[in-house]
Amino acid sequence: MSEKNHEIQSILEEYQQKKLSRRQFLKKVGAAGVGATAAAALLAACGEDEPAATTAAPTTTAAPTTTAAPTTTAAPEEMGPTRGGTLREGYNRDVSKHDPITTNWYDPAFFAIYEAIVTVSPDGDFVPQYCTDFSVSGDGLEYRFTVEDRQSHSGGTITAADVAEFYRIQKFSFIASLASPISHYEVDGDQVVAKMNNAWVGTLGPLATGYWRIANINTWKEVGSYDDETGLAGEGVVASVYGTEIVDATGPFKHTEWVPGSHSYVERWDDYPGSNVPYFENKGTAHLDAIRWTVITEAGQRATQLENGDIDTLLNPAHQDLARLQGNPDLTVYQHAEWSGYFMFMNRENYPELFGDVETRRGLSHAVDREGMVQALLFGNGAATYGPFPTTDRYYDPAVEQYNNYDVAEANRLLDAAGWSMGSDGVRERDGVPLQFEFMVENESLQTAIATAAAAQFSQVGAQADVNVVDRAVWFERAGGPEVPAGLFMWLWPIPIDVLTLFCASFTIPVPNWSHANEPRIDQAIADWQSAGTEEAAAKAQSDFQIAWAETLPNMSFINQNSTFVKNNRVHGWSPHVWLLYPYYNDTWIEA
Amino acid sequence: MTASTPESYLADWDRRLLDFEESQHISAFRRGMRNLVRNRLLLSGVILGVLVVGAGVLGPVIVGGDYELINFSNIHAVPFSEDALLGTDHLGRDTATRLFVAIRVSLAVAVGVTGLALLAGLAIGTISGFRGGWTDRSLSGVMDFIWGFPLILVAVLFAGGLGEGLLSVILAVGLVNMAAIARVVRGEVLALSEREFIEAARAGGLSNWRIIRKHLLPNILAPALVLASYYVAVAIIAEAALSFIGLGAQPPLPSLGQMVAEGRNFLQLNHWETTVPGLTLVVMVLSVSLIGDGLRDVFDPRLRHEAKGLES
Repeated sequence: MSEKNHEIQSILEEYQQKKLSRRQFLKKVGAAGVGATAAAALLAACGEDEPAATTAAPTTTAAPTTTAAPTTTAAPEEMGPTRGGTLREGYNRDVSKHDPITTNWYDPAFFAIYEAIVTVSPDGDFVPQYCTDFSVSGDGLEYRFTVEDRQSHSGGTITAADVAEFYRIQKFSFIASLASPISHYEVDGDQVVAKMNNAWVGTLGPLATGYWRIANINTWKEVGSYDDETGLAGEGVVASVYGTEIVDATGPFKHTEWVPGSHSYVERWDDYPGSNVPYFENKGTAHLDAIRWTVITEAGQRATQLENGDIDTLLNPAHQDLARLQGNPDLTVYQHAEWSGYFMFMNRENYPELFGDVETRRGLSHAVDREGMVQALLFGNGAATYGPFPTTDRYYDPAVEQYNNYDVAEANRLLDAAGWSMGSDGVRERDGVPLQFEFMVENESLQTAIATAAAAQFSQVGAQADVNVVDRAVWFERAGGPEVPAGLFMWLWPIPIDVLTLFCASFTIPVPNWSHANEPRIDQAIADWQSAGTEEAAAKAQSDFQIAWAETLPNMSFINQNSTFVKNNRVHGWSPHVWLLYPYYNDTWIEA
Repeated sequence: MTASTPESYLADWDRRLLDFEESQHISAFRRGMRNLVRNRLLLSGVILGVLVVGAGVLGPVIVGGDYELINFSNIHAVPFSEDALLGTDHLGRDTATRLFVAIRVSLAVAVGVTGLALLAGLAIGTISGFRGGWTDRSLSGVMDFIWGFPLILVAVLFAGGLGEGLLSVILAVGLVNMAAIARVVRGEVLALSEREFIEAARAGGLSNWRIIRKHLLPNILAPALVLASYYVAVAIIAEAALSFIGLGAQPPLPSLGQMVAEGRNFLQLNHWETTVPGLTLVVMVLSVSLIGDGLRDVFDPRLRHEAKGLES
């Protein structure tokens, strides 16, 4: 009997030290002959107040538009996680460099390899991830993150000073302006302290994204032979293999392979000390042996590969395949609003004769049937956007819907008023200049369809948009330059206000403010947002920003698609939620 | 018994020889026409070709409508739906209207490209083969160099320099096809240059231009035309392939490759969006290939006889 007690005591200690997940704990005490009620009592004694039978299903009550419908079978869940196996995930974009400082985008792999100082729970709250605890000073000018020394994949140690140094260098990255109210970072014992220029309610948002995920800065510097004089422009950094061949971080998986255009591959890190994220069930090493993300840029192929069993999980199938996938009993479809949008930039500095006046821009905007585009192109899986924000955002201001609605008569009236008269060939002219322009779009099926649809609708009011489909690299090379009057762009970012300011602030002309828009109202709203110390001030600034965008049209918003995740029902613990772009993999396991 | 002088004998022989040559000439023409009618491949190709060209030329006039016009309330309609003979695409655009315009685009590109390639290829190949020496070495070197590049790569290079669109396709396909035609023509000219009638013409003091015009071109035109028909098919496929990957016709201007590319994302929803332009592409290429094969049979009886020998 005492031996049995000792065994149970040992299991309890392991659980308290977070070496075991709740499931593992229940399994072990069950094997030791403890009944479910007694096990629950033991958990309660450990401070665990959740019922023992809680499943990993996401609790997205705070996400207003989430329509996730996980229908995982109960029996395997009760059996508990199985260790092993490789999760094969289909990804709708090309893989990007696994370096948070120099990458141009971050992929799902960042959620497996790296940890952010904080992350977002399914309820939309910020919770610790890398840090064990965090707090904000009463005046809002100081954020303190408690961090323990952590071992990284390479075996090196990351201290609080290393984290602060990582953030210091990260401030040189192209995306750093999104957190510009953070002045600098300091170290105070085991705490990293973010010193603010001003109190700002948006401080934690950027820190939870992929670009601020913490790398072992010592390895990063060493691989890229970094020095402060040349910064990120240094030859060593530019040519660095960090992120492509070498990655050193603290997530539950280690970078193994990165092949652009094909896949990326990570393997379980067996020395992972466990996660601090409170809503993760698995506090120990990952269940999966490995994860492979396969690039499937061909929209129609994604669903087919999942149905054929070539992949286990999938990000963003083509909209036309969604109904079929939802009807498949072997699959579970998660669907929620995506923090993204499609807009058209209009280069008004180099083409003032076309886009210099707001009447013309508004005239064109009224010609676009956004609701029709949502139905036809997204199969209803999205929403029309009359302003910059997706409709699901907590700061979305419905007042923008009074602008830019589909009204061909109003479009013609505005264009007439702007001095554009209809030519004999059906194209309007003003002062001998035809209302005709190149409309550059990236070579991707949905974007091409959106541009083609918009161009067709412009032509109904006498504007000829010549769609020019180009490679992604060419798009970025040409956008903002003097030779491109207009282009379609898709943005994706979990905090709309942060990223959207980049596309219309006067200080980001010409890139990525490709419109060269210089609107004092918008600049003021951005300044107000970045100095918003209260929720009320933040809400007002964001509302002002949206209305100013909808009225002055620095860019013309079209539609916002929903984000869709699909998994085979053999996969468990893979629970995407609305507040994060990608799911975490700590809890994920596959039925044997 | 009539005694004949050597002179009258020679004159009679000349006359008989001329009559024979004339009869041979006429019978060759007649034989050609007969083959033209009797050759089932050629006949099938011509019939299909007439249908396709008719659709391209007259279709837009008969069907009318705006190929750019979208209709969100009628997307992915199947053929023979109301107001949509061949259905509609993902933007609700009428497939028939777009198809006919796409055929026109394909034909214009194919015929235009091949015409230019044929003219340039004939000129370069003839000059190269006839002149020989460093001219031949230089020109054939350049042609071999161009021919060595894959068509898609050349198209990508042009698209990079000039931007995506039909102009890049025309230049890329035209350049590669020109090199192919020039190489074949050069070979023919080299072979012909060794023949007695060319040597006789040279001995007779005819100018190079006259020899080329009167003696070489008539002899290489037939094989060149046969070759050209093959390259029309190549051009159709190349234009479709390049439009499929986004380097060819730019939206909203339809092309067969682009229609196939747009439709492939909706195969399980409405396969007709891909099937209709795909089948049209097959018919176009088949008709041109059949015409090419038929012309080859007509102009080169040896192949026909060889084929018959194989069949027997």
